[in-house]
Amino acid sequence: MALFQRIEAAVDAGIGRRRLGYALLALIIVYFLWFPNDTSQSNYAKTVFISGFFYAIMSSSWALLAGIAGQFSFGHMAFMGIGAYVAGLVARDGLAFLTAESISAVGAIFIGTLVAGLVGLVIGWLLLRLRSAYLALFTIAFSELFRIVMLTEYDYTGGSNGLSLRPLLQIADVDTARQVEYYLMFALLIVCLLALYWVSNSPIGLFLRAMREDEDAASALGVNVVRYKILVFVFTSMIVGLAGAIFYSDVGSERIIPEQLEILQMSLIIAYAVIGGMESLIGAAAGAFIARYLLEATRQVVITLPFGLTMADGSDAFVWEPGAWRYALFGLVMVLTLRFMRNGLLYPIITWFSGRGLVMKETVAKRESDEDHAGRLEVDNE
Amino acid sequence: MSEINLELNSIVMRFGGNQAVDHVSFSVIKPQLIGMIGPNGAGKTTLTNVMSGMLKPTNGTIYLNGRRIDGHPPYDVVRAGLGRTFQITRALGRMTVMENMMVPGLAIRPRARRADIEARAHEILDLLTIDHLTNELSRALSGGQRKLLELGRLLMLDPAVIILDEPFAGVHPRLQETIYSYIHRVHEDGKAIILISHNMGAVFELSQRLIVLNNGALIADGEPQAVKSDPAVIEAYLGEDED
Ligand SMILES: Nc1ncnc2c1ncn2[C@@H]1O[C@H](COP(=O)(O)OP(=O)(O)OP(=O)(O)O)[C@@H](O)[C@H]1O
Ligand SMILES: [Mg+2]
Repeated sequence: MALFQRIEAAVDAGIGRRRLGYALLALIIVYFLWFPNDTSQSNYAKTVFISGFFYAIMSSSWALLAGIAGQFSFGHMAFMGIGAYVAGLVARDGLAFLTAESISAVGAIFIGTLVAGLVGLVIGWLLLRLRSAYLALFTIAFSELFRIVMLTEYDYTGGSNGLSLRPLLQIADVDTARQVEYYLMFALLIVCLLALYWVSNSPIGLFLRAMREDEDAASALGVNVVRYKILVFVFTSMIVGLAGAIFYSDVGSERIIPEQLEILQMSLIIAYAVIGGMESLIGAAAGAFIARYLLEATRQVVITLPFGLTMADGSDAFVWEPGAWRYALFGLVMVLTLRFMRNGLLYPIITWFSGRGLVMKETVAKRESDEDHAGRLEVDNE
Repeated sequence: MSEINLELNSIVMRFGGNQAVDHVSFSVIKPQLIGMIGPNGAGKTTLTNVMSGMLKPTNGTIYLNGRRIDGHPPYDVVRAGLGRTFQITRALGRMTVMENMMVPGLAIRPRARRADIEARAHEILDLLTIDHLTNELSRALSGGQRKLLELGRLLMLDPAVIILDEPFAGVHPRLQETIYSYIHRVHEDGKAIILISHNMGAVFELSQRLIVLNNGALIADGEPQAVKSDPAVIEAYLGEDED
């Protein structure tokens, strides 16, 4: 611990925590930009990263909706699905006076995003008077309703076989294709994170947090709670609608299936955000990426035995395929996080770099040293 | 000095069979300090909720400076110029004191420079003697400090009419002094104040006019000394207090 404190002091005296944080963030971004050029990495590894980016968008936008705005919605996956399904349907069947052929993949994605936003508007409006548990129940019902319709109307949606969207990129060479898909999804993640940060750092972010703390008080303080509640649903729905439409346009996956819209999948989005830090956009994104990576990496655990030991079957490695146990373990991590680190496992790291701990310490110190105020602090404890 | 013309016409608020506010009418046309008293359950908080837009009255109308405000949401009513504090304080717990001040500041003046709003917030916090708590989370504040924070947030809105619901409850005498000077200062700024309190000493010291509610009905409205000797008021309320 003494060593850590010495490092801490050195950082504070030198580069400063915040700047060190930005430097590390820049390094991470450089690593992600370089990664597809690493010839030792397989296309499979890139695919894992691509889906990691997608889930990072899902969890970080949910963090804005639930962690910052306090709207604990289970409808996030459904909005993603709306974006993807609508993009697929208009590209196949056309839209009103537009023929299917005239709608490009980009056009289809655009329409999917727009419809996700429109549905977000309606749902946001319907949710105006609902809070906490009721909001969660409502959005579960909405999400299930959407999934079941997609499953049942198989003539249109392909039912459980899913629906193919118009491929966004048509690149014959598999290696190149994977590389372009990788950069596309990574760029989308960066753009989404920037947009989410812009909102959360603007006055809107402040109003959303005020509504999370106490909607009536926020309203009495002049915050147009109707406008901002609807706005946050429209905004996050469009982000995930866009991400879904792009991801399933053969960028990360070749088809959207109703199974993807099950409550279990939605719960995973929530779990990633909780583990990473529900009130931190970057924490939720990192949580999702790391969790996806670990869930993939632990499909098969191979431990080579030391000292020439061998297994009963003669092999020199212990092989374990945890299967669904990965998810059980993951659930356990989430339970422990909620119990012992409610702000997420990454929260201490993020606050350390942001220097927020420093500020807190300073104000306490200031208060202790300020005798004039010390008197005032005593009087009002009745 | 801002324009003041608040007018309540026969306001009724019913919860099921319970008539919490019963045909209350009064108006405020100048920057007066008005005390509002009445026994527990008389309907003072309910009337405040109706006036501030948290409740839609069962019947009656409210006009503020020519605009009808009854049934409008609180954020509209506040913009029209009527603000209130809560009897049970409602600090935005996991936000700092400064953030608590910035919410109303930015909500009302979205185009103003952030630094200007912050400077105004500091001024008000200083007036309320809680400037040293600027960066504390508001949930870390004591009950009395929260009362002060609520008064501060209200000033950020700069409303023409202010309703203070029990600002002295649970507050140490020394802090009450701060609230006294706040009330005087706001009054000198040309605002009308409706002060709801069970603290008779404070009410009689501060008020220029007294409104008495009983069982939801307005039973007296006038000069404090005249109201004090009104037989209906003595019977309903003050009588028991007099010793
Ligand atoms: N939301 C509600 N639903 C049903 N009844 C309510 C509601 N709010 C208030 N009441 C009733 O209205 C009546 C007036 O209550 P109110 O809180 O306005 O009284 P008050 O004058 O503020 O009292 P106090 O001095 O104790 O604060 C009470 O009988 C109360 O039970
Ligand atoms: Mg009351």
